[in-house]
Parts: sequence; structure tokens; C-alpha cells
Amino acid sequence: MIEYKNLVKKFGERTILKGLSLKVNPGEILFILGTSGTGKSVLLKNTVGLLKPDQGEVWVDGEEISGFNENQLQSVRKKCGMVFQHPALFDSLTVFNNIAFGLRKHFSLNEQEISEKVKKALNLVNLAGIEDLFPAQISYGMQKRVSLARAVALDPKILLFDEPTTGLDPVTTSAVNQLIRNLSKKLETTSMVVSHDMNSAMTVADRIVVLDQGNIIALGTPEEMKKSTVPLVKEFLFEAQT
Amino acid sequence: MISLLNKIINEIGLSLLFLKEILNTLFKTPCKSHLIYEQIWNVTMESFATTALAGFFVGAIMTVQFTLQMNEFGALGYLGGLATSGTIREVGPLLIAFMLSGKVGAFTSAELGTMRVTEQIDAIRCLGANPIQEIILPRFLGIIISAFFLLGIGLLMSILGGMFLGSLFAGVNPEEYVRHIPTILALPSIFSGLVKCFCFAVVLATICTYKGYTTTGGAKGVGRSVVSTAVTTMICIVVFDWLTSYIADIVIRTIQESA
Repeated sequence: MIEYKNLVKKFGERTILKGLSLKVNPGEILFILGTSGTGKSVLLKNTVGLLKPDQGEVWVDGEEISGFNENQLQSVRKKCGMVFQHPALFDSLTVFNNIAFGLRKHFSLNEQEISEKVKKALNLVNLAGIEDLFPAQISYGMQKRVSLARAVALDPKILLFDEPTTGLDPVTTSAVNQLIRNLSKKLETTSMVVSHDMNSAMTVADRIVVLDQGNIIALGTPEEMKKSTVPLVKEFLFEAQT
Repeated sequence: MISLLNKIINEIGLSLLFLKEILNTLFKTPCKSHLIYEQIWNVTMESFATTALAGFFVGAIMTVQFTLQMNEFGALGYLGGLATSGTIREVGPLLIAFMLSGKVGAFTSAELGTMRVTEQIDAIRCLGANPIQEIILPRFLGIIISAFFLLGIGLLMSILGGMFLGSLFAGVNPEEYVRHIPTILALPSIFSGLVKCFCFAVVLATICTYKGYTTTGGAKGVGRSVVSTAVTTMICIVVFDWLTSYIADIVIRTIQESA
């Protein structure tokens, strides 16, 4: 479904991704863990063409997209729903129009169909009835869930989450993790989740990949991770237990 | 010194490329007219009061300054014409540019910068829209079109200010003040004022949208963009003021010689 081959990404003199290769299987939930600045978000942004690799290939649904221009990338982005680290909702638009934004751009739907899809998406994240509110009128946790609703409203084949639980309290974190798990399985999407949280990864992920300094240092199922001897993985597991 | 020069040339080049992208989008994709009207309304209303107030006092200052000179020649009747001509040729466009730079330029840069660092611009791209068409173009056109409305408001208020102070300070009655405006205010002066207003507005709109759009580095980065917008626009407006005055002078002299 998604494959990275020898991916290299530099920002000025700094090389963030150093020849990373990874294959994400269709329908799985893959958690990407690692310390700050190891290229987790960069990897995610390369998947939808928000960043371009300096070397290597990015394959999404059978297409090599690293050389695509903005017009060609539209078809790729139509298949992907992305939830950003910030809720990234548009302040001047209501919740309804925030969710409808992508539907109006990507599809030729009438207002009735858009309204139905928005309501369905809000129901999926348990936020029915807040269509007319503005982002500033709802809590940060709700904004994150609206952001999730905006992503799933497009009926994507791929869901990308960039630190979806950062800044949330433990109860909301658990609710968002459950949502990610349920939505991914219900909608049969391939999901990639960037996170620092090993606890979330152990409960939600099908597989976990750990990045360090732009390379993969561990890859496996949560059970395999528990047995890992890689120091950083052990550190993550220790932090998760305390 | 060389690295600073390199940085400045690089920034000029990148701003021009950004302007090219805006113009490409303007001519190749349909404009969202409701977004442009919204921006025109916002920019005009945000700066209306300050421009009107500043315009009134600019007219007053011009009148006081010219009164001192013209009293010596016994030509106080031409006070209105001279003050208005000076305002539309030079002070008006400059005043509007500085007003817009301080209020709208800084606001636009901060707004776009915040959208950039909170990933709203990335979200727009992911959701299938072009951020230049969606958020930059309406602001760019809104600033340019509003500049002309504000120039008109500023000019009207400067005439009112001049009339008031002319009557109070020099004893020129309002009717006499206005009567000689058409005598002195020639077409080239109006044209020069409009060209300057357009150039300053394009410079300001390009710089503030470019600085905001390319913001990096969180809240600190937004602050840096706002400061950089204020400083860069002030410098560029003054440079463009000289440049347009110089070119206008050549054009007017060529026309006069050929006539």
C-alpha cells in the first residue's frame, strides 16, 4: 500500500532521513515511534507530497509520487486523510464548513450529500450536534476529534496521524486511541500513526517501527517489541511502564 | 557584509518568485470573488478611521506649512490647490502605504504566519485546495483595491483639514480654498499619485503575504515575520517612492518637451 525506498530528506546541512526503507501493509495500523527530530513527521509529510524527498522513492497505492507536481498529487491526497499535530482547523469556518472543505474540493457533491457526509463523520467521532460552532468555541480535545472527522469524511484508503494525542489528558488520549483503532478497522484503512507514546502503540498498533537519527532501529508487532533488546525500545517500554 | 548582501538578494528573488506565483494563480485560476470582497471590506474598515484622522491632519499640516511660504508672495488664494496637489502626488499615497503597513501588513503577516505554524496551510493542500488561490490571492487583491479607497478617503479628509486650518490659520475661506484646486491639480499629479498608490500597495501586499506564508519556527517565528514585514515594507516603500518620483519626473518632462 505504502512503501518507502532508500528515502533521504535533508533540511540545509541536516540530514533527517538517511536512506530509510519501509513497507506498510494494506489495512494495518503502523505506529512510528522515536525521539524528537528523528524524522517521523517528515516521513508522514513525504507520503502526501507536503515534502519532497531529496533521494529515494515513495510509493502510494501503486504510484511512485516523489516526482509528482501539485496537480498530480491531488489524486494521492484524495486517498489520504491526514490528522495534523495541531488540529489545523480553519478559525473562520464553522465545524461543518471545516469538514465540508475537503469534500467540496475533492468531490462533486451537492449540499445535501455534503451535509450527510459531515454528519456521518461527526457521529463517527462522537461529536454530533456541534456543526454550527466555531473551532474557538470547542475544547482542544474536541478540535482534535473534529480534525479526525475532517480526515475520515473523505472516505480515505489511508489515514495518517501526526501525534494525535499530544497535549491531551489521559482520558481523552485513551478515547482518541480507541477512535483510531475503531475507525481504521471499521473503514478498512491503512493507518500510520506518529507518536511518542509507547502505551498507545502497544494497545492500538498492529506493528511498531522505531526511528532513531533518520533510520529504522526496530520493527515488529507489539509482542515482538516487548522482547526487543534495542536500548531505545527498552527505554520507551520502561517509560511506558512508569 | 557579503553574506548579508547575499541574504538580501536571495529574499528579493524569493519575493519576486512568490509574486510570480500569485500572478500565475490570478490569471490561470478563477478568482473567489466573495473572498476578495470580504478582504476589501475588512482592510478598508480596519484602516478607515486612522486614515481619515491622519488625512485630516496631513491636510492641516500642509496648509500651515504652505501658508508661511505663500503669505510672502500674497498668493494665499492658491493655498488649497497647492496643498491638495502635494497631498495627492506625494503625501497621500505615502500616508496610506504607512498606515496599511502598520495595521494591515502586520496583521496579514501574523495571520498567515499563524496559519503556517499551526499547519492550516498544509491542511489546505491536503484537502485538495491551492493555498495561494484560497488565502493569499484574496488578501493580495484586497490590500491593493482597498488602498485606492483609502487614498480617496484620505484625500477628502486632507481637503477638509486644509479648509478648516486655512480658514482658522490663514483666513482663507473654504470656498476660495476649494476654487483653485482644479487650477493647480493637473492630470499628471493625479496620475502620479495613483501610480504611486498602486506600486506601494503591490509592494506591501507582496511582502506581507510572502513573509507570513514562509514563516517557520512557531510563535517566535510569527513574531519575527511581523517585525520583518514592518521593517522591510517601510524600507521598500521609501525606495519605491524615490523610484516612482524619478520615473514620473522623466515621463512628465518628456511629455512637456514633446508638446
